[in-house]
Amino acid sequence: MKNVPDKDILLFRSCLVSVEYPGVEASTKFVFDKLGIDYAISEKQTCCTGLGHYSDVFNQIDTSAIGARNFKIAREIGRPNLVMMCATCYAINKKSVKLLNKKDDLRNYINQLFDENGLSHLKYEKDDLNPTENIFHVVDILYGKKDEIKNHIKYDLSEYKIATHHGCHYCKVHYEDTIGGVRDPNIIDELIEECGCKTIGWYDHKRATCGTGFRQRYSNPDLSFTATADKMNAIADEDVDILVHLCPNCHIQFDRYQHLISEREGRKFKAIHFNIAQFIALAMGGDLDKVIGQKAHTVPIDSIIKELKEVER
Amino acid sequence: MTTQQKITDSPIDFAEQIIGDVKNSKDEGVLKCVQCGMCTATCPAARHSDYNPREIIERVLDGDVSIIEDDNIWNCFYCYTCHSVCPVGNSVCEVNQILKQFAVSKGINYDKLYEYMGFADSYFTAAIGAIPEIFFEDIDRDVPGWWDFRQHLDEIRDELELYPPLMPPQDVIDEVSTILTITGFKEKIERIRASQEEEK
Repeated sequence: MKNVPDKDILLFRSCLVSVEYPGVEASTKFVFDKLGIDYAISEKQTCCTGLGHYSDVFNQIDTSAIGARNFKIAREIGRPNLVMMCATCYAINKKSVKLLNKKDDLRNYINQLFDENGLSHLKYEKDDLNPTENIFHVVDILYGKKDEIKNHIKYDLSEYKIATHHGCHYCKVHYEDTIGGVRDPNIIDELIEECGCKTIGWYDHKRATCGTGFRQRYSNPDLSFTATADKMNAIADEDVDILVHLCPNCHIQFDRYQHLISEREGRKFKAIHFNIAQFIALAMGGDLDKVIGQKAHTVPIDSIIKELKEVER
Repeated sequence: MTTQQKITDSPIDFAEQIIGDVKNSKDEGVLKCVQCGMCTATCPAARHSDYNPREIIERVLDGDVSIIEDDNIWNCFYCYTCHSVCPVGNSVCEVNQILKQFAVSKGINYDKLYEYMGFADSYFTAAIGAIPEIFFEDIDRDVPGWWDFRQHLDEIRDELELYPPLMPPQDVIDEVSTILTITGFKEKIERIRASQEEEK
């Protein structure tokens, strides 16, 4: 496995996490604190452009110029390891680092724009960051500390039927850096096992998209929700209680639209939805309101989790 | 694509243009396509619409530039499933994004981007990528309780003790706006907006 850092980390804020599921940020911080991860958040870091990029409004130059600025901020505060809570931020930033290192024309063009407009302090030099050694998703960091997770588990969640959904932009975009499998993704399953639980493992459509498809959800909802229904039907066939994922786009698609898709399919879908950081934070004793942020969820957490049982020591 | 080609035609020029695009991370991957169809077999858009990634590459390699005006290319989910299974290291998903940027640079399909102008606005005024307000009515209709949740977002964030605040400081917003002005982004957005508002 590649080297995973536990220090000098800039925890990269995500727009969707901030406004849709802020409990993912609180849970990530809670779990990182328990595991002794050295991280900070910067108010200077801005959005990766992901939603705009994948709706084709931002081109690669726009996105990589914004990326160069964020990379400079990370280096300036001595935190060159960017760790993302959102799979889209992860894929976008990793690609920008790759392109800025590899494509001299792109790097020189952006640096020239910076120079000519009083922004020389933002210039990106070749290999300032390494796409494999500096750009991570939160799951990578948790995986690097996975042996320590079990020391902090407070609640036993093993009675629930749990399935995982691995975000496409974590698993499939930069597949050479993906931990835990690409065709049969398992990194979330392995992290859940460290909490003393078993997942159902493989299920039909396990590696399929959540169906968001960026513009598809808004401009082409029939196509989007039909793809999501593939997944929700497969989850319901397995009688799953909890679906665990790693990206706020997927989280929105499953949690916000489960009710609508249930109506469209004429079938009751019962699963509640957690980000892996929320799942681990809950297992470690995080408060449902003050850490997990359950009030932001559309499918109520207490529709499945009625009470929390402490693990027997 | 069945139009007859002459030996003096250079259908590869179109693929070369894609290879040379700033977005391309797959070197000459597009030229290595063997038309095996793994991409189409695993594609969610192909499963549920007339989108066909294998055919996109076939048309690209035929030099069929009319593909940038084909509405079907807008059905891609950008899920990168094709990209992750391609046996020769091509990425139809990335080629698709490049084709769309070709279309945008020629002023084609501005209507497809117009709904997403909200991203540009939120980035300019707050350096945040927010879901465009134009979609709020749909979300409110489709998601029970969403609007009410959004009204209480600040309280929920307070309870979670999240810091720093949602909105970046003004000097950060100004710097980001400058970047998006010098890259030509601002001008493009104004052009898209003007063209669509003219048509109305």
